[in-house]
Amino acid sequence: MSTLSIRQLAKEYVAGKPVLRDISLEIEGTGITAIIGPSGTGKSTLIRCINRLIDPTSGEIHFEGKDLAKLAGAELRAARRRIGMVFQEYNLVERLTVMENVLSGRLGYVSAWTAFRRKFSNDDIQRAFDLLKRVGLADFANRRADELSGGQRQRVGICRAVMQSPGLLLADEPTSSLDPKTSVEIMELMRDLARENNVPVVINIHQVQLAQRFAERIIGMSGGLVVYDGAPDGLTQDTLQKIYGGEDWLAT
Amino acid sequence: MSADIGPPANEVFRLPRRLFDARCKACWFVFGLICLTIASFVTLDLQFAKFFSADSMQRMGKFLAELLAPTTEASFVKKLLIAAFETLSMSALGTIMAAALGLLLALPASKTHDGDRARWRGITRLLLNALRSIPELVWAALLLIAAGLGPFAGTLALALHTTGVLGRLFAEAIENAPQTASFALRTRGVKEGRVFLFATLPQVLPQLMSYTLYRWENNIRAAAVLGVVGAGGLGQMLSFHMGLFQMPETSSILIAMMLLVAIVDLASYGSRRLMQR
Repeated sequence: MSTLSIRQLAKEYVAGKPVLRDISLEIEGTGITAIIGPSGTGKSTLIRCINRLIDPTSGEIHFEGKDLAKLAGAELRAARRRIGMVFQEYNLVERLTVMENVLSGRLGYVSAWTAFRRKFSNDDIQRAFDLLKRVGLADFANRRADELSGGQRQRVGICRAVMQSPGLLLADEPTSSLDPKTSVEIMELMRDLARENNVPVVINIHQVQLAQRFAERIIGMSGGLVVYDGAPDGLTQDTLQKIYGGEDWLAT
Repeated sequence: MSADIGPPANEVFRLPRRLFDARCKACWFVFGLICLTIASFVTLDLQFAKFFSADSMQRMGKFLAELLAPTTEASFVKKLLIAAFETLSMSALGTIMAAALGLLLALPASKTHDGDRARWRGITRLLLNALRSIPELVWAALLLIAAGLGPFAGTLALALHTTGVLGRLFAEAIENAPQTASFALRTRGVKEGRVFLFATLPQVLPQLMSYTLYRWENNIRAAAVLGVVGAGGLGQMLSFHMGLFQMPETSSILIAMMLLVAIVDLASYGSRRLMQR
């Protein structure tokens, strides 16, 4: 059975105007699945339905034996603990150190008293250090997050997500605020960390080339429907046209 | 011309109203205000002529001369220092108590995110309003009955009023804090208390400290006045010596008050500057 299984998912913000219609997907393995599609086509809504930042109108989202669409309260929190998320704007606590930001990935697991004293277990601290070393930020552990550049912040964001030992990693346009070179580095990091930690990654992305280069599978969305689902090689001019519409922009 | 010209192609610009238009609401408002001012002067019977007469000028001069000769007698200065310290402690303790209590009340009084139902927001805000709307002086007068004469009543009075002020300011700060970081923690299944400790509080802490220090400045002034109703410190000394018309002592006390307020202002300003990082 696959890690994540979405069945007939639909979402209407306004009744009668569906943003997502009848989405069914199976996500598994440890590679990157990239979702591409024009703005406003429901990519973000889809990602946010998975960890229930948005309540779907209908459908099922099966993850680790539970239907996420039906959870609430403590059960929902327990499920969310297993889903890491990386944001376009990093969403770090700017006034805390890099280390504290990474450790905050463990907050769902530690007791309130531990959190209050800011005392994490040695294992957690060691793991955080190893992760920071892995992404090349070991020297920045005690620097404040707002002293870092965008690419460095995104690495901290990824460390924080990996720190929570997720069974699934979501990323909502993680490279949209970064320069092309840093974008490639971040994508490489996500791909490698996903393999090392045995986690499938679902990424929402605008840069088709990055998606083709790093993803094992590409899902093309248009008008709230999946119009392409397959290998990066299968993404021809025709399919791109089907996803984004028009043709002028494809001319070189 | 015929009637079916249709709408004009360009936008129709309206001229601003003439200033003294009879329909001008602001003009009538100002007129009413002037009437009220004149009426209040008439009813209050302020005796300016008498106030500026030669006789009263002379008396005022004498009074000022006495005031400008503060006493520096050692035993009195010692008493003064003790009273000044009492005022300082009253203001500091009152502010610290208020900051703690204010933060405690600010949590239920704030709606931290869209999904937050904030069930206690209305009732806590009402409580904060009530605490805030009763001035320190009135709190002190009320507490004097319960807690007796002395600095304890004054400290409690400051704490209660300031709790209302700081609680409200803290709640606003918490509600206005950037949501991104707390959102990131919430999405990974972290409970609200821990979200507050690790995301919201670090972001708003400098602002909370700055508010608290600013209120401390206000409270040192208030603490000086509170003594007048019998709540200890410099104010109590002031009302005592002024009641006996001992001008040199009164003068020393006033100077001590000014110095104390200036020092606290400076300290608070300095530390707020430091914290703006």
